Amino acid sequence: MAEPLLSVRGLSAGYGDASVLDEVSFELEEGGALALLGRNGMGKSTLLATLMGHTLRRGGGIALRGRPVERLAPHLRPGAGFGWVPQERDIFPSLTVEENLTVAARHGPWTLARVHELFPRLRERRSNLGFQLSGGEQQMLAIGRALMLNPALVLLDEPLEGLAPVIVEELSAAIRRMVEREGLAIILVEQHAHIALGLTREAIVLERGRIVHRASSETLAQDHATLERYVGMRVAAKAA
Amino acid sequence: MMVSLGNVLFNGLAYGMLLFVISVGLSVTMGLMGFANLAHGAFAMLGGYVATTLMNKAGVPFLLTLPIAFVAVAAASFVLERGLYRRLYRAGELDQVLLTIGLVFMAVAGATYVWGPGQQPVRMPDYLTGQWTVAGIDVGVYRLFLILVGIAVTAALVLGIERTRFGAMIRAAVDNPRMAQGCGINVNRVFSLTFMAGSGLAGLGGAVGINLIGLDPGFPIKFMVYFLIVVAVGGLGSIKGSLIAALLLGVFDVGGKYYVPEVGAFIIYAVMVSLLLWRPAGLFGRR
Ligand SMILES: Nc1ncnc2c1ncn2[C@@H]1O[C@H](COP(=O)(O)OP(=O)(O)O)[C@@H](O)[C@H]1O
Ligand SMILES: [Mg+2]
Repeated sequence: MAEPLLSVRGLSAGYGDASVLDEVSFELEEGGALALLGRNGMGKSTLLATLMGHTLRRGGGIALRGRPVERLAPHLRPGAGFGWVPQERDIFPSLTVEENLTVAARHGPWTLARVHELFPRLRERRSNLGFQLSGGEQQMLAIGRALMLNPALVLLDEPLEGLAPVIVEELSAAIRRMVEREGLAIILVEQHAHIALGLTREAIVLERGRIVHRASSETLAQDHATLERYVGMRVAAKAA
Repeated sequence: MMVSLGNVLFNGLAYGMLLFVISVGLSVTMGLMGFANLAHGAFAMLGGYVATTLMNKAGVPFLLTLPIAFVAVAAASFVLERGLYRRLYRAGELDQVLLTIGLVFMAVAGATYVWGPGQQPVRMPDYLTGQWTVAGIDVGVYRLFLILVGIAVTAALVLGIERTRFGAMIRAAVDNPRMAQGCGINVNRVFSLTFMAGSGLAGLGGAVGINLIGLDPGFPIKFMVYFLIVVAVGGLGSIKGSLIAALLLGVFDVGGKYYVPEVGAFIIYAVMVSLLLWRPAGLFGRR
């Protein structure tokens, strides 16, 4: 069997005294696309932040292409292969759009030109400062910045949250292209379960820091009872 | 005889530029890294002693001692930062103040031991000693040189921070250290290098300014107030603010001492208090 791209084993982590993740284990194959679902406050962002080294890990391991990375300093994790698009987007406000991209650049197939091709808006706005962007543009920039790291795996934390429907469509198309045409692996956290499941192949559901359900995205999209139970009525109704 | 306003302005600008070169590094460390480094003046003093020692003992030309003072002080500050300061980044300001005040006393005692208690003699090279009279203003070549050094340092800082990739890394690390690390930026190293550059500039200022402000072991204490005024009035971490504050301080200090010698030494405090009443976070402080 081929070695998985990402292997998470018995991962427990939290903040200070508070424990959030409890023995989380899962794997993701090369080029895989995983939806990470669950209600607010269940630990989805914490899981991504733990992969990036920003929480207090209490136990368990993280391996990327077989290399243990759980002890790596946060600034070395992008070099190991993680690209992070955090929930707050975290655009650098005193950097221009172009600097936000180039400050993160690492050698590889993703270049400024290719990010501009994926998000032409970022080329038009390249001299604007980070804080002058609309929400959708910030999200494009956050994704573009992660791509400039030439990651093996992109961690997308609610990239469609709070955006207008046209922008949601544009970003969904970009994410689909990253996965299907470029072969990038992603972990996608999303409140819109139906969109997330449409963009991914596998899904896991978190409930109070534990994985309570695993399924293929296709199966879970049909499984209204499970969605309703763990993700919420509103989302399940939309998926129906 | 009344000193002309032009002369006061010129001398004040030269003095202010020197204060800027010495203080800007302190503004950066206090503003960007949140570290209250009261020993900053000791770095400037060390630069001065490096330069005088090289000139008087080894015959090194004055201009060449300036980059050496920069590098030597930057290197010394690296050792201090790794060995001591680093441990107190997360500590309270009181801990930082106590540590760095202790370092000031050690620096004063150490300098007295090595170089003696008196003023260091310096002889400027001939090409910096002349004076021209331009439109009624006595333009000392040495002071003009200080102004040019200040302009060069300002330009280098602005271009370095606004235009280079390393400058973008500094800004990113200040904006959002967590996300900067998420972009692969070694935030600690960026701050370390920034700190070294700021200390190196203090060393450069200490070296280039000896002929104007002198050099003896009391230097870090005598000028601490001036550096802190520049930082407070300019606004923490603001290069533009430090420059304007330093120039105002220089002009008012020189003007006060010329025109109202009885209270001259107090003028700068009056200026500082009024500016801070007007803008408590400093001219360009973000708060
Ligand atoms: N920086 C933090 N410090 C302390 N607790 C936090 C922090 N961030 C999140 N939490 C807590 O961790 C839990 C999981 O939060 P989070 O991972 O953000 O959930 P989700 O992304 O699934 O909405 C919540 O109870 C939240 O209050
Ligand atoms: Mg979240």
